[in-house]
Amino acid sequence: MRIMIVEDDAALSRGVARILESEGYAVDVVARGEQAILAAEQERFDLVILDVGLPGMDGFEVLRRLRAQAQRVPVLLLTARDAVDDRVHGLDLGADDYVAKPFAMPELAARVRALIRRSQAQAGPKVEHGPLLLDTVARRAFLNGEPLELAGREWAVLEVLLAKVERVVSKEVIIQAVANWGEELSLNAIEVYVSRLRAKLEPAGIRIRTVRGFGYMLEEHKAG
Amino acid sequence: MTAQSLRGQLLRQLLPPVAALLALATVIAYFPTIEPATAAYDQALIDVGLALGDRIQIESGKYSLDLPRAAERMLRTDRYDSIYFHVASPDGGHIAGDEGLPPPPRDETPQDHVIAYDGMYAGKDVRAVAVMVPCNGRRCMVQVAETTYKRQRLLRYIVLSSLVPTVLIALATLLIVWFGVKRGLEPLDLLSEEIRRRSPRDLRPVEAASAPEEAKPLVGALNALLEEVAEANQNQQRFLANAAHQLRTPLAGLQAHTELALAQSVPESCRAELEQVHLATVRTARLANQLLALARAEPGGGLAAGLGPVDLRQMVQGAADEWVHRAMARDLDLGFDLSEARVLGDPFLLREALANLVHNSLEHTPAGGHVTVRTELRTEDGRPMLEVEDEGPGIPPAERERVLERFYRVPGTTGTGSGLGLAIVREIAGLHGAVVEIGEPRAGGRGCRVALIFPSAPQR
Repeated sequence: MRIMIVEDDAALSRGVARILESEGYAVDVVARGEQAILAAEQERFDLVILDVGLPGMDGFEVLRRLRAQAQRVPVLLLTARDAVDDRVHGLDLGADDYVAKPFAMPELAARVRALIRRSQAQAGPKVEHGPLLLDTVARRAFLNGEPLELAGREWAVLEVLLAKVERVVSKEVIIQAVANWGEELSLNAIEVYVSRLRAKLEPAGIRIRTVRGFGYMLEEHKAG
Repeated sequence: MTAQSLRGQLLRQLLPPVAALLALATVIAYFPTIEPATAAYDQALIDVGLALGDRIQIESGKYSLDLPRAAERMLRTDRYDSIYFHVASPDGGHIAGDEGLPPPPRDETPQDHVIAYDGMYAGKDVRAVAVMVPCNGRRCMVQVAETTYKRQRLLRYIVLSSLVPTVLIALATLLIVWFGVKRGLEPLDLLSEEIRRRSPRDLRPVEAASAPEEAKPLVGALNALLEEVAEANQNQQRFLANAAHQLRTPLAGLQAHTELALAQSVPESCRAELEQVHLATVRTARLANQLLALARAEPGGGLAAGLGPVDLRQMVQGAADEWVHRAMARDLDLGFDLSEARVLGDPFLLREALANLVHNSLEHTPAGGHVTVRTELRTEDGRPMLEVEDEGPGIPPAERERVLERFYRVPGTTGTGSGLGLAIVREIAGLHGAVVEIGEPRAGGRGCRVALIFPSAPQR
């Protein structure tokens, strides 16, 4: 897994790089937008961490050019500005996620893992989450290598949660993803599917958190 | 220069000349009218005097007046005044009539043998004429006098008839000034109303089209000032954005490195120090955020864009991720109770207010406790509301006013807060016309509930 950090503050980029390296990623650091564009043309990255407030060509411009080159690499924006507009602007330009400075390292690392996982899921048919493996083409699931029986709705709910590990997914979003056209699905029905999923997954250490009054969150799987 | 009402100033300037004109007009009308009118009355007296003179008879040096009783009655008949007469011989001897009439002034020379003069008779003002009539080769004096009631009446009438129109004209002038100024200033009133209704963040130029020609320079100057303020605001915004960047990036670096250091195996003696550095970094970062938010929440630090429609529910949903992890790390149950609640607001500042409330609640609630974020339209009055409820120690009623002050911290609290969080919440609430309410949890029991209650829901 290869990550490019585009950040002009050397102390910050070095710190982030070292943390990501300790998690097993290969990390390249550049300080200017122009270098980032050049590097992206020559190398293949699995993720770009891009600071908005770069000197000269700013992060938005770098993002725009990357997307203009039809680069589908996931981009995580770092910004020190607090205007909500900044975030909307970045997402409109095709950024995949957004972290405001200063940030806690575990949070950044979690976002990085989620983005990479998501782009892999889009790239290939197999989604992995700890001991869980989903083959989205064959529509078969495995837990610790053993086939796992999932009903249609359970499968759909799990897919939504897997796409956003460590992020809260509202019940409304789950309903939209799970319900068929013209079908009314109650919030209670979602609770039933989630509790069935829990019964099947928790023995293997996979946890689905309830966020009261809001939705669910699939926790990152911690080895051991 | 002291401030004066335009209207008062105009009236004060107009009143003396109008009053002077009024007096002058009365005088001008008085003299040309009073002269002929009194002359006519005098002439009537003279005629009586001449008629009486014709009646003087002289027989062997003795003077007498041939005046039958009926004639004398007729002579003395007047509708308003009492008429007196006296006929005297050339030597001044009494011939007939009322004795004791005032004599004509000595220094007056007769014109056409007539002297007209004023005097007193029987305790009343009288007007008298003395007519010198030919009488046995010499001249007898016939005095005729009458009280002045008629003349006073005439005088009053003349003064009144010239005064009333001038007074009416003067009154009309003053009324025109009064209402004219009011009407003329109406566009200015509308203008000031427009400015009054504005939010302190709205720095768009004032509409000059409806202002009267004379007020255009004022509107122009005001707009120029607004433009300058808006520009100064933008500069401040740019400065804030830069300051944010300059502060946050090194802080992020510092945080990254301390976390990195803590993740490594460091000697126990260093670890405690490193943890302190890390904690201080996190707090400094938060403080920087808060100060920037506070600066932006103040009028003048404002976002030029002004306030737009914001659904509090969507805002909370969009920000939930940020806190869920922090809550889990502290083993707290962060829950939500969200219904649609639309307000006019600034999304960034509302988020900042919410972040401060949630931060406080997460900070003060012991592990295993519940924190709930709620948005709804209040059942009692339909006002949109955003509240955060926790199971912490709560805020004693006596402290609830003071905790909204900057840098104030409830005595005995141990948290790492700066005492700015609730001040920011209040500042942001004020900007939205919302009130901050601090109380106990709805279900009762230990804890704290802080609510922002917004003005009634805006039209969609």
